[in-house]
Amino acid sequence: MNFKHKYMFLLPGLLVLLGILIFPIGFTVRLSLSSWDSFFPGLDFIGLENYVRLFTDDARFWESFQRLSFLSITTVFLQYILGFSLALMVWKDIVFQRFFRVLFLIPMMTTPVIMTVIWKTVFHESLGPVNDFFSLFGMTPLWLSSEGLSKVTVIIVEVWQWTPFMFLLLLAGLLSLPKEPFLAASIDGAGPIRKFVYVTFPLMAPISIGAIIIRLIEASKIMDTVYVLTSGGPGTSSETSSFYIFIKGLREFQFGYSAALSLTYLIIMIISLTVIAKMLVKLMIRS
Amino acid sequence: MRTFYVTLKYIAVTLWSMFVIAPFLWALSTSFKDFNSVTSGATYIPWVDFEPTLEGWRVLLRSPAQGGVNIVEPYLNSIFVTCFASLISIALGTLAAYALSRFTFKAGFIRNDDITFFFISQRIMPPVVLAIPFFIMLGKLGLLDTLFGLVMVYVVLLMPIAVWIMVDFFNKVPIEIDETALIDGCNPYQAFYKVVLPNSIPGMVVAGLFCMIFGWTDFFFAFILTFTEVQLLPVAIVSLNSSITPWWSLSAAALVSVAPLIVVAFIVERYLSKGNLSGALK
Amino acid sequence: MNKTIRISTMVVTASLLAATAQADKWSDQFPHIKNTGDVAGECSYESMSKKDYSGQKLTINTHAVPVIGEPTALHAQQFSKLTGAEVNVIHTPAGDLYSKAMIPFQAGQAPYDIVFGFSNFIRDWKQYLQPVPAKYVNMPQMQDVTQSHIDVNSWDGEMIQFPIDGDRHYLKYRKDVIDNPEYQAKYKAETGNELRIPRTWKEYAEMATFFNGWDWDNDGELEYGSAEVMKKDDLMFAAFFSRSVAYAKNPRVPGGYFFDLETMEPLINGPGFVEALTDWVEATKYVPPGGINFGLGDEINSFGGGQTLFSFSWDDAFVAAMQDDSPIKNKVGVAPLPGSDRVWNRSNKSWDMEYNQAPYIVWGWTAAVAKASKKHDMAFDYLCFFANDANHQADIAIGRFGVNPFKKSDFDADIYIERQGWDPIIANQYADTLMEMEEGSTNRVFPLRVPGVFQFNSAIATGTSKALAGQLSPQEALDEVAAEWKKIVKRIGADTVREAYSVGVALEDNL
Repeated sequence: MNFKHKYMFLLPGLLVLLGILIFPIGFTVRLSLSSWDSFFPGLDFIGLENYVRLFTDDARFWESFQRLSFLSITTVFLQYILGFSLALMVWKDIVFQRFFRVLFLIPMMTTPVIMTVIWKTVFHESLGPVNDFFSLFGMTPLWLSSEGLSKVTVIIVEVWQWTPFMFLLLLAGLLSLPKEPFLAASIDGAGPIRKFVYVTFPLMAPISIGAIIIRLIEASKIMDTVYVLTSGGPGTSSETSSFYIFIKGLREFQFGYSAALSLTYLIIMIISLTVIAKMLVKLMIRS
Repeated sequence: MRTFYVTLKYIAVTLWSMFVIAPFLWALSTSFKDFNSVTSGATYIPWVDFEPTLEGWRVLLRSPAQGGVNIVEPYLNSIFVTCFASLISIALGTLAAYALSRFTFKAGFIRNDDITFFFISQRIMPPVVLAIPFFIMLGKLGLLDTLFGLVMVYVVLLMPIAVWIMVDFFNKVPIEIDETALIDGCNPYQAFYKVVLPNSIPGMVVAGLFCMIFGWTDFFFAFILTFTEVQLLPVAIVSLNSSITPWWSLSAAALVSVAPLIVVAFIVERYLSKGNLSGALK
Repeated sequence: MNKTIRISTMVVTASLLAATAQADKWSDQFPHIKNTGDVAGECSYESMSKKDYSGQKLTINTHAVPVIGEPTALHAQQFSKLTGAEVNVIHTPAGDLYSKAMIPFQAGQAPYDIVFGFSNFIRDWKQYLQPVPAKYVNMPQMQDVTQSHIDVNSWDGEMIQFPIDGDRHYLKYRKDVIDNPEYQAKYKAETGNELRIPRTWKEYAEMATFFNGWDWDNDGELEYGSAEVMKKDDLMFAAFFSRSVAYAKNPRVPGGYFFDLETMEPLINGPGFVEALTDWVEATKYVPPGGINFGLGDEINSFGGGQTLFSFSWDDAFVAAMQDDSPIKNKVGVAPLPGSDRVWNRSNKSWDMEYNQAPYIVWGWTAAVAKASKKHDMAFDYLCFFANDANHQADIAIGRFGVNPFKKSDFDADIYIERQGWDPIIANQYADTLMEMEEGSTNRVFPLRVPGVFQFNSAIATGTSKALAGQLSPQEALDEVAAEWKKIVKRIGADTVREAYSVGVALEDNL
């Protein structure tokens, strides 16, 4: 097809995106080479000092990265399993199908900043309903204030909020599957489990990979949940990279340094997402 | 055996439904409480467990000078910005996605996949650090605290989603459709407009849903880039979060803010049920 | 000193009460001030009504509704009615006030004419703020403001922020428990000590432990020892300093509390601070479940809702407890923060074994006018109007407004007895405790007000939070903070920090 036409389609979007972003991104790169902070707002040039500090003298950032990897991989994995199961369940042959489908979508539509406040009241250790229930058994789990459980709580809230995202994508995928492979499998006398393993799952692999990657991107930005629920505490036990960058940037106002953190984060994420995508392709598409 | 599976399925679906609904029910109950009902331990049923009050809801309609936060105008602003930014994102995103799906691009080591990934990668950057450059840029352009400025920023946030969904979608639409149209004498634009576009509406609906959700629930940029002229809903609601966290009015606000999107969810579900969506995503 | 205040207090109060008798035309129009009517002054309703700002627009960034946010909006509405100005108010949660104003400041924009914030922002903000003009500094309305609040709002003698509110940490306790003869006997029998208002943090801990985890007010719910701001957030450092001043501020050792002014070495990991942090770690055993994740809002819910025996930060929890519909109204008492039975002396590196108490002049709400604003006159008039006597009297009577005493005339129990229905004993206790803190002590500690203050405070929050969570021992945690502080000092420059810090030290050393 004509050389010119393809650019007529691509360029409007690409140019708008670049046009709006070129200054912010360029500025961020420049910012990361400066000492801009609350006291000195300006673009002086301090070379790679921020990066040196980041790699040699900031254990907290790297710890937060490990925590982030744990949290995002766990939540996305759970969301995928749950979202896929739910999509399979309301795929066909269920009463109140429309009701369930709409209901399962709703959590995704709540504003995280606000909904997390509600969750905080739900998990409030002495005034919330969850511990009201547990107190029946004489227990008082510390949902928000113990090192281990606070992570579990963050995971529960994230799973509640974002499983619908997986659910919708996977349900749409299921609904668009061709009928023929299923008929063939039925004729071969395959049961539901074999059908799933040999027909449904392979057919769903591409959409699954796409959904997992985009969720990993979003889950890595996890911030509102942590900020509202625990502020990264107790101690630093639930602090994630994006929350740490937020503290350095918008709380401590070390903008130069937080720009360096962000760009490093960006590069690490791009590399690891590429690797993860390749691994998933290998793992899920065996052929 | 079959009954066993079916029973299991209904149990699972019911459990999950309860998990989904629980926080909303709690919020609904909390929205009728006051300080004393909240601080005297967990209670659930109005009149039985506690004396209900409409205070939490009234706050949403009062002006700040009367201790409330009027959410009517922010509500309308939010609807406008979300819809407008979603429309632009989908329009531009669909075009770009079509190009990425149908044509081959090559520039040095850059291929189609890399361009697609470039779009998506815009969502990786943590928003925090973009606050200052966006602020400076919009300031220079005179677009701080304007609807247009916000729409511009949101397009950046939303277009990557639209591109990602639509690329997947177009990959699924058989290329023969385009070819037939071209043979029939259409130029590429006519082919796209008359043949491909009508076939891609379901995909655009899903992309639109995601754009609207991400636009509607964004807090950060709305918070940093606006002051008084344009306030969006999440920012208005958060301005209730004073030294005392008002569980009651925040609960009411959470319920109010999710309402319009439930309508959207029904619309999307219609497309799902009718099977119109089949092929929206592979 | 005290006496003069009392007299001036009585004079002002008398004039206020006299004004009550005659409703004037302004209180008809503005029911908010119905108790006093308009009170004559530079920025009274009468004076404001003579100004004409019609066609002009004033933009204010303030706190969320209702604390400070509601009075800002209310006075904006009144100001607009009186002067014809258009006033826009933006409400921002406390944690974001700094950045919400700082981003436009640093980006060279001027969206706000007035910014509300905390007094400890002063060093970072002052280059962007317009000092208060002499005519406001010298007016009688300002003469009524206590010296501490003048100091907190000023930088090296120059008033930068406009005093609109008073804030401090003090001890709140359940009077119905501490004064209960039955519990006193029981406590004596089991611990051998008197149950009374705690004089030291050790006593505080013992009582809180004793009253932790059982239903001592017979409401069917468990009660606990203490509610404190322990969540790793913007306010945590203030709670820690309130707990550490008694151990670490030695009246005989001048020259710096946070740093040694000469060397700029952090003192934060000294034995006084470590002792305080050890106490605080101990405190995690007598806070309600989840108490180490309590922010200020949770503390208010907890103590204000009748869940704990003690609490010690800002006014809010006390105010919540004293609200009209509160089940514990008039059952709570007020006292100065506990002290300690010894205090670290860093010059001879040993403990001075003597009772010590030191008020930490906690930062609080304040407001200022942006230098880049083009409407300085109108902005200062607004702030002056906000804090005029009629408005101020009405504001402090409304608990949720969060406007607390900072004028000498506020320390009069009658205001609280008559207008808010407080028990006279509690009202007197309140007025006396607050006044004692303002004017009584010469062993005061001022908040850290240096460039990059958020970096220092954030390091404190991270370190103490790790200790509370048991990740590090108190000494390790504070060593980590000290190391972090050294790095920050190095980054910003020791001389720059010293220059700023010396301003606060001069106040502490009563120079």
